[in-house]
Order: sequence, then C-alpha cells, then structure tokens
Amino acid sequence: MQEQTVRPGRQRQRRISVFDGQDLKKSILAGAAWLEEHKEAINALNVFPVPDGDTGSNMSATMQSAIRNIAKSSETSASDIAARLAHDALLGARGNSGVILSQTLRGLAAGLAGKKTFTAPDLADAMQEAERLAYRAVIKPVEGTILTVVRESAAAARHSAERGDDLVALMQEVVNAARQAVARTPDLLPTLKQAGVVDAGGQGFCTILEGVWRYMRGEAGPAASPATPSTAEPAARKGRVSIEEEYGYEVVFLLRGSGLDVERIRQTIIDMGGVSTVVAGDEKLLKVHTHTPTPGKILDYGVSLGSLLDINIENLQEQSLNYAAESAAEHAAEEENRTESETPRIATVAVVSGAGFEKVFQGLKVSAIVPGGQTMNPSIEELLSAVESVAAQQVIILPNNGNVIMSAEQVSGLTQKEVCVVPTKTLCQGIAALLGFNYEADFAINCKTMTEAARHIQTAEITTAVRSAQIGGVHVREGDYIGVINGDLAVAGQNMDLVIQDTLQRMHIDNYEIVTLYYGQDVNTEQAQEIARRIKQAHSHLEIEVVNGGQPYYAYIFSAE
Amino acid sequence: MTVRIVTDSTADLPLEQAEAAGITVIPLTVFFGEESYLEGIELDNKGFYEKLAASKGLPRTSQPSPAAFQEAYTRLINEGADGILSIHLSAKLSGTYQSACTARDTLPGDLKKVPIEVVDSRSASAGIGGAALLAAEEARQGRDLETIKNLVLDRLARTRILAVLDTLEYIRRGGRIGAARAMLGNMLSVKPIIALKDGEVIPVEQPRTRSKAYARVAQLVEAMGPLADLSIVEASSEVGQELEQALSPVYHGTIAHYKLGAVLGTHTGPGTVGAVVVTQ
Repeated sequence: MQEQTVRPGRQRQRRISVFDGQDLKKSILAGAAWLEEHKEAINALNVFPVPDGDTGSNMSATMQSAIRNIAKSSETSASDIAARLAHDALLGARGNSGVILSQTLRGLAAGLAGKKTFTAPDLADAMQEAERLAYRAVIKPVEGTILTVVRESAAAARHSAERGDDLVALMQEVVNAARQAVARTPDLLPTLKQAGVVDAGGQGFCTILEGVWRYMRGEAGPAASPATPSTAEPAARKGRVSIEEEYGYEVVFLLRGSGLDVERIRQTIIDMGGVSTVVAGDEKLLKVHTHTPTPGKILDYGVSLGSLLDINIENLQEQSLNYAAESAAEHAAEEENRTESETPRIATVAVVSGAGFEKVFQGLKVSAIVPGGQTMNPSIEELLSAVESVAAQQVIILPNNGNVIMSAEQVSGLTQKEVCVVPTKTLCQGIAALLGFNYEADFAINCKTMTEAARHIQTAEITTAVRSAQIGGVHVREGDYIGVINGDLAVAGQNMDLVIQDTLQRMHIDNYEIVTLYYGQDVNTEQAQEIARRIKQAHSHLEIEVVNGGQPYYAYIFSAE
Repeated sequence: MTVRIVTDSTADLPLEQAEAAGITVIPLTVFFGEESYLEGIELDNKGFYEKLAASKGLPRTSQPSPAAFQEAYTRLINEGADGILSIHLSAKLSGTYQSACTARDTLPGDLKKVPIEVVDSRSASAGIGGAALLAAEEARQGRDLETIKNLVLDRLARTRILAVLDTLEYIRRGGRIGAARAMLGNMLSVKPIIALKDGEVIPVEQPRTRSKAYARVAQLVEAMGPLADLSIVEASSEVGQELEQALSPVYHGTIAHYKLGAVLGTHTGPGTVGAVVVTQ
C-alpha cells in the first residue's frame, strides 16, 4: 500500500493507489464488522412484521461465513483472498439477500482474478462484474432493492476510476452513490414507501461498503476476529434429524382435594425435576402430567395434597427404545427384503421449523431435514450438506420458505448429484409436495408433479405482529394478531378468533374439502382443538385435522385443499 | 380340443357368470375367529363387510389345499377335458398358486396325461376374472391349450390395477403391504392409492381426500393410453359409483362392476375401490 499525502499544510487526506491481499482482507473484515454492528437496525427495516428471515441477520451471517478463513490468513495475493472470500460466502449464504451478496463477492473475485495487487480501475471493473452476477442471480430483477444499490455503486466506481487512481476517493464516491440509492428505494418500490422504510438488502450492502470506506479512511481498525461463533460458523449439521431420547417416567394422575393451588403445585413439581409439566384444573380437581426420573417423589407429593385417581405411569425409555427397536427391526427386515433396485432413487430434502412439523415430514419419509431455525434461513452449505448426505443421486429440495428458494437453487451448481428445487414457500406447500410424490414416476416428472401439488394448496398463517406496519392497505399495530394468506398479509386485528375467521373467509375456505390446522409451540392442544371445533361449527362440510406443528412465531398455520 | 378353465374365488367372478362360462372356481377360506367360510359360497361381499363391522378381531384368510385342486382337476378330466388352464391369484400375495402346482404335480399317473397349465396371474380380482372369462370364451371356440394360455398371458401383461384405500392398516396387518410400507407412518390422514406391479403391492400416491384420490386415478388411467377394457372392483356400490363418476370422462366404454370378495376385503378393508385396466 503506497501512501501519499496530498495538499501539505492543509488537512491531510489519505491517498491509496494500490491494494494487496492483506489490504483487501482488512477492508472486508471492517465491512463485515460494521454490518454486524448494525444488523439489528437493518432487521428493523423488514417490512413484514414477523421476525423470520431478517435481512440484517442473514447478510451478516453470510459475511461472517465469508471471512472465517481469510480472517487469520497472511496471504498477500488479492486474487487469492478474493477467491477464498467468494467461495466461503457462497457456502455461508443465507436468505435471498445473502445469496445476492455472495454473488457480488463472486464478481469481485472474478474481476480480481490473477491480480496480486489491484488499483482503482481494477476495483471498478470488479464491481462491474459484481453487478453483472448479482443481477444474473435473480430470475426477476426488481429495482428498489439491493440490485439497484449494487448497480449505482458500480457506476460510481467506474466514474471515479476514469478520473483518478485513488482508491479512497473511489470508495467515497461509491458510498455516496450507495447511500443515495438506498434513500431512493422507497420511490422505486411502493411497499417500501407504504411501510415508510428503505430496502433492507440495499441498506445492508451499503453498510458493508461504509465499513470498508471507514477502514480505508483510517477511521476504524479491522475487526480483530470474526464475530461470535453463533453467527460465524455454519452449524456442522448434516441435515439429519436426531432422534430424541427420553429418560425417566411419564406420570399422569388426577388429584382431588380442596383449596388446591394450581400454580404452586406446578412450580413445586418443576422444582422436583419434573419436565414437560402440565397442571390444569381448579382448586378441587386437577390433572397432573409430568416427566420425571423419580415418579415416587411426585406421587408422594400428590398424596400429601389430596387423593389420586387414574394414575398412569409409563417408562419413557422403554417406549422410545421400543419405538427404536420396532423401527430398527422394521429397518432390518426392510434391508433384507431390499434388492439393489429398491434403494431409493429419488431423495427429498426439506427445510423444516418446528418439532411437530419435523415429525410430519419424517412420517412422509423425507430423506433429510435441514432445521430452519428461528430467524435464520439455512445457509447454502447446510443445504448442500444435506443433499450430499442422502444415498440417492437424484435429490428434490423443498425450501418451504420464500427466502430460502434462491439458496436452494445455488446447490445444484455445487454438487455432482442431480438436484431439482420445488419452489415451496411454506411448510404446508412442502407437505403437499411430498404427498404428491409418485413412487412410480421418474425424477423429472416428480419434480413437475410435486410443484403442481404445492401450487394447489392454500396456506394461512396466524401470528402476532412484532411491530407496526402498513402493507397492502392493511394497518397493523404492534401486538395485533395478523393473518397471512399465501405470503400476503391480509388481516389484522386485536381479537384472535375474529382474525382467524376473517382470514379463513378471505381464503374462500368453503371451496375446499380438508383443512389441516398446525398449532405452534406456544399453543396447547386444547386451545387448538377449540379453534378447530369452532371452524367445524361454522363450516360443517369441512374435514378438519389438528396437528401439533410446534413451529415458532406462527400460532396457527392452516392449509386448505 | 376341450379345454376347461379353473380359477379361484379371489377372481371375484359372480357365481352365475362363472357357471355360465363353464369356469370352475376353487374357493379360498376366510376365518372369523373360530368360524370358517368358503369365499363366494358361504360368504359374499355384503356378508363379509357386515361381519367385519361387527367383529372385534380381524379375519384371516387361507389358500385352498392341494386336495381341493386335485378334486377339481380329477372331476374335469373325468368329464372329458383334454387340457386344463388354471389361473390364480398372484403368487406373491398367496400360496394358492403353489397349491395348484402341487396338485398338478401329484396327480395319479393315469390322469397325468392331460396337460394342466397353472398360471400365476400376478394380478387379483377382476384382473384374474377378466383373463378367466377370455380363456373360457376361447375354450368354447375350441382353441387349444397352448394358444389360450398365450392369449391369457398377453392379456395379463396388459392388465393394471389401481386401488384407493381408506387406510393401509388392513394391508399392513395382512402382511402383503410390500413396498407400500413407504407410505406408513404418515401423520396426516390420506386415502392411499396402491397398484399391483409384478404381482405385488406398490405405493402410488397419497392424496388427502377420496375425491382427490378418484381424480388422480382417473388421470393415471388416462395416461395409460388407449384401453381395451376397464372394470371397477368395489367394497360397496357407493364407492364404486364414485369412482365410476371420476372415470367416465376418460373412458367411454361400459364399465363392469364387481364386488370385492371376502379374501381381498380382509387384506384391504372397508371403502376399498379399484380400477382394473386392460390396455390395448
């Protein structure tokens, strides 16, 4: 790096005309650190008032993955650093914004290929390449998004490089252009204007550029090391579901007494080591359900409070061992019966959130599950890992989330296996796709059939808004219950029942035959059954099925078919 | 040449039709607890499903003994048959075929000079029944055993069966589920579609409702191309009518209806309905 002072006597301004690999590395680390610092602010720009698939978190996680190998590297070749960056960014990419970001880094690497050091014109060329690959990654490019910011930034870089060779000045122009482009995004995308925010992806990209610029100006040192592991490291998940093992006993009984204090009893049982404890009822009669290694203690406690009825104790380990033994035996029998031609030709990989949903997908014999997690969308690497982990050479991916489809589509280019993405946007669509699997048909036909099956299902999601918003003409206040139909926010209100009714009405629920209600992790069975009962009352011809989905955020997910 | 045709009760041929065609039907047996019934003779479709609804446990089935076959073959030979074609339920689903073979192989010397061809239909119900009726017609026209056998094998090769079940429970407990076990463990309620391929049960799809299932069957039947014949096998007239309604847009010929017998009923359960398709 060559420094030259300009205008001696006046305010010193840094001028840099050449960067090498280490300079590049430190700039990128600074960009990543700056983004990490601001990711929550970027998450808050999310138009949709539900905290899943947040852009700030996704882009920051992508950057953290991107820098994990170069952070400690002493490599001086810019080409090598850029290539490593691009490679790791692709694997770690999460969400659509993460994928596009990874493509810009690929463009950077392509532009800097073969160059140990680079100048302003080189950087401008690389940013052009970044723009090209970013647009190519999106099937239907939309202005008013990160793409616009990438484009304007590349244009500014080109403009600056034409007039001089100072990398700092180039970066300054780039950041100015990026900030302006971000500010303009509400004029380009009506949903942003309605929501009163700028585009999150664009802001994320701009923030990275700002971090780079700050480093180049000498305002901030590079981040000492990548941020906390929870965001940095891709989970070493192979996409396999772990079978939960339960120990101890399941104890269930009715307790009859007087003046029974439900809360106190529940807390006492929990203090005694009871897990999954449910105590329900009133001061005269209540039902206790808990998992404990010491059933005697719990029963003694119950006896001290009143009289016990309908006592039931199950050995949980026996149950799970039996289940494991049964399925192991079934598996062994299957292995025996299986001839070579019976090894599954086509495997399915699904992204799933929620313990109950995982069970549903497992029941449908999905080959591998990639945990969707709470707010984070899985990285490309996690999807790739799952694809590689299955035996079959032909794999169908079910992303089950609009923000994972792009990541899934990147997997095909990273594996020798034949991969097809069925573009499911919800878990329900994923289930419909799996149910549409035809055991006799080939890979290509199944891909089509499953896509068709996913398209026909209607999904409604009921949750609570975490912030106020205005989308599609619907005013949402923080704390309102909202109904989302096929990804579009349709209903908001303060009464859950009315929101559900309204949502189902707008879905034209009477045109369908069977409604499946998946209840989330914060809802209990009784509440869900009650909702189902009311729906059945209002729509008597419908078949209603209640399933424990265990999903986060969405109290209820309905599918109608 | 006088060729006589033999089949078994799982062909689901109505007694009168079999008699009129001169087809000999060897019955399998269905057990409800201690009580046993000869399928088609002592227990018909209606009686079976009534008993099934009323009984606590599940019925069991068993193949005819070799003796039953020998008795039939002997009688037919004594009546003047100079050739016998014996067409039976898929060997992968039942020991019936094996029983017939054993009977043929252990016939006393003087009867052995009459050729007896035992055919594993690799099919079931009207799939067998249709082949048997074809064979009987050819025999009536005086064709020889070899020719009739080849015509039957040709028809069986073009026969496909698709069935809609209420549940996989019956087929699972009967042990004939085969590859369709891939559909077990589904937490959601579905109406599974199964097929018979190479004589055994295979999974096809898992639609969520009956109407979807019928629609899918119709689509799958349509995809099979031009048809020579289509018939429906039903556990009840109700489901038979429902499937016919779904199939009528894709097949304009007459669709014969057969009642599902007690043996196949045991292994598929109530609500079962199937399309037996013969392609051109």
